[in-house]
Amino acid sequence: MQVRFCMIAVFGMAFLAVSTQADEETTRALAAIKSISREGKGNEDAGPAWKSLVSKGGEALIPALEAFEDSNPTAANWLRTAIAAICDGEKVAGRKLPVDKLEAFATNTKNPASARSVAFELLASQDATAKGRLLPGFINDKSADLRRQAIELQVEKAEKAGGPDLKNELQKIYTYTRDKDQIELLAKKLADLGVQVNVAEQFGFVTHFALIGPFDSTEGKGFAKNYPPETAKDTSAAFQGKADAKVIWKLCETTDKYGEFDLNKLLDKHKDAVAYALAVIVAEKETPCDIRVGSPNSVQIFLNGKKLAEREEYHHGSPLDANIGKGTLAKGENVIVLKVCQNNQTEPWAQTWGFQLRVCDATGGPLSGIMQKLAENGKQIKLGYIPESALSKEKK
Amino acid sequence: MSRFIACVLIAITPVLAIAGDWSQFKGPNGSGVSTDKNLPTEWSKDKGIKWKTPLPARGVSSPVVAANKVYITCSSGVRDDRLHVLCFDATTGKQLWHRQLQGTGGTACHPKTCMASNTPVADETGVYALFATADLAAFDADGTLRWYRSLVGDYPTITNQVGMASSPVLVKDRLIVPMDNAGESFIAAVDTKYGKNLWKVERPRDINWVTPLVREVQGKTEVLFSGANGLIAYDAANGDKRWSYKSGVGSIPTAALDGDALYLPVAGVSKVKLSESGVVGEPEWKTAGLQNGMSSPLVYGGRVYAANGQGFISCGDAKTGKQLYKERVKGAFSASPIAGDGKVYCFTETGICTVLKADSDEFEILATNDLGEEIMGTPAIANGLIFIRTDKAVYAIGK
Repeated sequence: MQVRFCMIAVFGMAFLAVSTQADEETTRALAAIKSISREGKGNEDAGPAWKSLVSKGGEALIPALEAFEDSNPTAANWLRTAIAAICDGEKVAGRKLPVDKLEAFATNTKNPASARSVAFELLASQDATAKGRLLPGFINDKSADLRRQAIELQVEKAEKAGGPDLKNELQKIYTYTRDKDQIELLAKKLADLGVQVNVAEQFGFVTHFALIGPFDSTEGKGFAKNYPPETAKDTSAAFQGKADAKVIWKLCETTDKYGEFDLNKLLDKHKDAVAYALAVIVAEKETPCDIRVGSPNSVQIFLNGKKLAEREEYHHGSPLDANIGKGTLAKGENVIVLKVCQNNQTEPWAQTWGFQLRVCDATGGPLSGIMQKLAENGKQIKLGYIPESALSKEKK
Repeated sequence: MSRFIACVLIAITPVLAIAGDWSQFKGPNGSGVSTDKNLPTEWSKDKGIKWKTPLPARGVSSPVVAANKVYITCSSGVRDDRLHVLCFDATTGKQLWHRQLQGTGGTACHPKTCMASNTPVADETGVYALFATADLAAFDADGTLRWYRSLVGDYPTITNQVGMASSPVLVKDRLIVPMDNAGESFIAAVDTKYGKNLWKVERPRDINWVTPLVREVQGKTEVLFSGANGLIAYDAANGDKRWSYKSGVGSIPTAALDGDALYLPVAGVSKVKLSESGVVGEPEWKTAGLQNGMSSPLVYGGRVYAANGQGFISCGDAKTGKQLYKERVKGAFSASPIAGDGKVYCFTETGICTVLKADSDEFEILATNDLGEEIMGTPAIANGLIFIRTDKAVYAIGK
């Protein structure tokens, strides 16, 4: 118990150093909440700390927001509920929330995105002008919620203004979109104005892959087995696949705007099987990235031979971005490998075997200075590249 | 000093649901049956409503009622990752508090469901809310956060892209948390005070929407939980497996327990007898015509009721399994039938409630009531009222 108290005190002192507004009790309370770890460790202290924080009322509001960390969602949820309770208390007491401080917090992009979103919502509940004044500044925000609201508002404003600038305005707004529904909406609005956009580029889908397989996955064991393509650097080698059959890389591309690859068509139908997809991505400089995958099958994501993410789940849907691997592209060539496992379910709805993969920034947006190098000719293409002829066909 | 006395009083107050409460999924031990009298028969959008309070978002979880408070969960946002827990005064419908969490697990799911799909469980001290994102929170009755856990933070491989819906149940001072999924699958008991694991038992890696049942036997409390590998009875004290029954496979509906009889929603409904050591012999009967889909069977007044996704309401004799009727109404059922005061209430997804006369071998409709809003969660019966949560509001039906 003493050790735990000391740790909290140390955290508390560290936090005090960066927070000028919190008193000692608030600082201790926040430190206790931020100290929570796995399986409820620290909950004994966090409960009383939560009450202490809430008892401070409005003065604890900004310190509580400052204590958010995007990397600690557990603590953020403790804080989120404390902020709601503080606001309830202030309302009952007839006190107004500190709108100036909330605005300063929400507009300071150095603060965690999740906390800024909470601050903005509180501000907007007190100040009817806040949305109109501040949202335009959030159109390229790290916070998905603030960005989304900003896009909604800007589209509304652009359409209300109308005129010859509408096309340009919508094109500009489109570049900031991240959510699928907003990307689709803007793409349609632009199409209605005669502007064809390639949504695959906005998402950053990889549209060219080298595929290889099948490898054996009887009883689902292939998921845990490390086959050689996981550390492949190029597509030159041949391997022994399922039933000792020789397998070689096959170059494939898709013109699907969501970058979908159907392995049943491209590699033939196989059950109890593993396939790999490989793409070479070229970065102008070292670049943090998300590698996001949707698939109805079990998947593993590798970047330069290092596993970034995995999910062992079959035929429960294929939502966009369900699997996110966070990595850093090295300057120069990088090898992305995706492992896609198929099981042996026999139901008609359990036959799909495929994937979509995109490379994007942490907000889901396109990365700059990133190209794909094609295995067949070394030519570099933009992520999401779909030939004009295929885009035109879709338009028709 | 007064605070000290208050703390002592709280500490010695038994942590139990009050008789007449509807504190968990399908009410008292998941039976779906209330002992309340003078329950309403007829209502509409404009008639028979004691109060109506808007909800901030959709949910397919049920309302629960404890110590004159109604608790409801919702989820919202384009990613459906904004989780809400709300508390209302059961008498007036006044919203007492509203807390929100950010979902920390995946939010992929079948379009019919959402992240507010697991029904919370409550007692007079507060509410325990589990979401399909595997976020778990305990709030005191006044909205104080008692504890919170991100189960995906604790066990990162938890995944179910169809969406989770099994509901937690309370066994005295422990919360039983069912977490069958395609990743790290388990059932656990956590202490209600701090939310820490008391025990955690590995389960099959498969998705499952069944809610555990609880029974007392020879001084032991058993947690009965059906899943991909059958029905397993766990000792609530330590998680030890006491017995199992392979044919008690479960995936969506929850069985009905009535004394020593267990009605399993497997290929219709089958009835088995329970002894201290588990299921006795072969099923007493199996009736394929008692079809369940999303909803769970109801045992009331010596009859078994089932409602399915094609709009069929079936009824059978609980003793013999003989099918008494199978009639179709307009709509589909996701909510489970509930009963009380001699009536059986069946709610379609579009908000129509068919009220049946329970003491009858015939399909006798007492009333058909249309609220005109989506009803996916099983309503609650408490305080002589029926509490219905739609996608837009919570209603207290009755006087």
